[in-house]
Amino acid sequence: MERKVRIGFYALTSCYGCQLQFAMMDEILQLLPNAEIVCWYMLDRDSSEDEPVDIAFIEGSVSTEEEIELLKKIRENAKIVVAVGSCAVQGGVQSWEKDKSLEELWKIVYGDGKVKFEPKKAKPVEEYIKVDYKLYGCPPEKKDFIYAIGTFLVGSWPEDVDYPVCLECRLKGNPCILIEKGEPCLGPITRAGCDARCPSYGIACIGCRGAIGYDVAWFDSLARTFKEKGLTKEEILERMKIFNAHNPKLEEMVDKVFQEVKE
Amino acid sequence: MKNLYLPITVDHIARVEGKGGVEIIVGDDGVKEVKLNIIEGPRFFEAITVGKKLDEALAVYPRICSFCSAAHKLTAVEAAEKAIGFEVREEIQALREVLYIGDMIESHALHLYLLVLPDYMGYSNPLKMLDKYKKEINIALDLKNLGSWMMDELGARAIHQENVVMGGFGKLPDKTTLEKMKKRLQEALPLAEYTFELFSKLEQYEEVEGPIIHMAVRPRGDVYGIYGDAISVSDGFEFPSEDYKKHMVERVVEHSFAKHSFYNGEKPFMTGAISRVVNHADKLYGRAKELYESHKDLLRPTNPFANNLAQALELVYFMERGIDLIDEALAKWPIRPRDEVAVKDGFGVSTTEAPRGILVYALEVKDGRIAYADIITPTAFNLAMMEVHVRMMAEKHYNDDPERLKYLTEMVVRAYDPCISCSVHVVRL
Ligand code: SF4
Ligand code: SF4
Ligand code: SF4
Repeated sequence: MERKVRIGFYALTSCYGCQLQFAMMDEILQLLPNAEIVCWYMLDRDSSEDEPVDIAFIEGSVSTEEEIELLKKIRENAKIVVAVGSCAVQGGVQSWEKDKSLEELWKIVYGDGKVKFEPKKAKPVEEYIKVDYKLYGCPPEKKDFIYAIGTFLVGSWPEDVDYPVCLECRLKGNPCILIEKGEPCLGPITRAGCDARCPSYGIACIGCRGAIGYDVAWFDSLARTFKEKGLTKEEILERMKIFNAHNPKLEEMVDKVFQEVKE
Repeated sequence: MKNLYLPITVDHIARVEGKGGVEIIVGDDGVKEVKLNIIEGPRFFEAITVGKKLDEALAVYPRICSFCSAAHKLTAVEAAEKAIGFEVREEIQALREVLYIGDMIESHALHLYLLVLPDYMGYSNPLKMLDKYKKEINIALDLKNLGSWMMDELGARAIHQENVVMGGFGKLPDKTTLEKMKKRLQEALPLAEYTFELFSKLEQYEEVEGPIIHMAVRPRGDVYGIYGDAISVSDGFEFPSEDYKKHMVERVVEHSFAKHSFYNGEKPFMTGAISRVVNHADKLYGRAKELYESHKDLLRPTNPFANNLAQALELVYFMERGIDLIDEALAKWPIRPRDEVAVKDGFGVSTTEAPRGILVYALEVKDGRIAYADIITPTAFNLAMMEVHVRMMAEKHYNDDPERLKYLTEMVVRAYDPCISCSVHVVRL
């Protein structure tokens, strides 16, 4: 390759875990000879948000007016825009209380205090600009980064995962926490790719990779199972919303399950 | 001459975790104003978890900060356990501390080698140091890999450890893995010592020399460490953790999404590795104790740059401590990973020493849900003091080339190892 690939890593409002995951890969040293880091404030003092890049990685949810401006600038300057992690892709855990007003949240945390910046309710990047590719997870797995960059470098596109965590969980031979212990595991609606990390430790999945796309996340059938195990509609929605508060199908599909009874 | 005020700004301090900036207003007769702006958006963690089920809230809290997600998880879980009146078995506590030590090792190694060292060696970016400082970068990677591997094994992953739950762990590594962990810690000790040597030679700028009030958690069992139930102050005062609000008073300031804290409502104070060393060096043991004795003058209470060396000292200490804690756990093998917890109503405060200093979680539990949450992070505690030190540096250099002024003030900020995504959105009145 003659020209180095120009890479930018930009942070909106986040925990910096996605960048950290990326920066912590030993493989990054192999990438370096082929890449030029144009913007990555976490690592480089000589960073600029105003220069053209081939690949722009964006981490974090959009949570201030300034971040909207930054996003537009990134989109203009980048050939490929990648939303990285659940904050950028689904609005992150900070969207859990999507329906509470900003004023209410502000008051709980800051009281009557005022600051000179303009805060906003957290939203996914895609609500403001076109996103070409998404890396799922909170944080994404290292192999997600490697796979994506690898395919970009050869001029191709990574393939999206369209099957649930359960599939990986079954392949690993884990006992099913949902069926056997009745714990509210979100594996059935959550995008695979983590090798069923949490159920493999005996912990119910909280859905950090977000619901599977392409309208194949069956919120309704999982809600029905949860309901049979004694969870209320509010409890089900609360759990599914940790990482999926902005999902347009979620409430409607869960509602359906609870309406069925009344008839 | 006209009154021409020249604001010097670093819009985005690089190589810290999070988004912050420094604003220095210089007039004819010196520095007029210094502000540390926290410009990252708020995430309202306390507000969004109020009313939520305990276990779900505990899964969300570590997402406050990736550099110390294990610290957040472990402190939140302890606060919850205190609230419901549950205490984990000794061997579980030992293994939780080993996990916490993994976080310490990773965080200190990253901060020292990737964030601080490039300034001293004249690079903008640690990756560019690879040609000339291959050894240092490799040590950084080795230490980081050790820390994150420990978190992988005990926490299910290095960032956001879902394996830690009330009552213990989801699953524990097997005996062979713990023995391997001990071995890897032993093997890494020389790297930690090398780090200490290296940082003992770096300049600690005398521009910022002056008295500092230090606060640190008083470690349980009088052994230098992470968990404790009281806060010690370098002026000799000490208070129980539950009284944190009385003595660590927060205020909203308009130039920042993060609030500032003051000792007894008046004085800025510092917390972090150097504060732990200043207040509790008498509880160190082993090789770290010897290094402390021979380098006391550099590990002094009066300079924030000493925090870098104190972190290096802790790399040595926590490796030896980790080995001892693993031994404690192994002595009780086999260990049941988890006990049943009965969730009752109550209120609990946990204070621990995160890599960057005191981390406070106060949680009230009612009907299995969070009724109240107050979280204060080390960076939020440090902001007021950081501003004082940035000003001291600026006052000595405001006539220099603005680039040099920016560079020096950034270095002050970096010495604190601030974690800005931590300091916003988690402070509460
Ligand atoms: S997606 Fe998760 S890991 Fe990534 S920045 Fe957001 S909270 Fe952190
Ligand atoms: S434990 Fe969870 S992820 Fe695994 S099969 Fe059961 S529901 Fe699916
Ligand atoms: S099991 Fe669920 S919560 Fe755990 S890493 Fe995978 S998607 Fe995330």
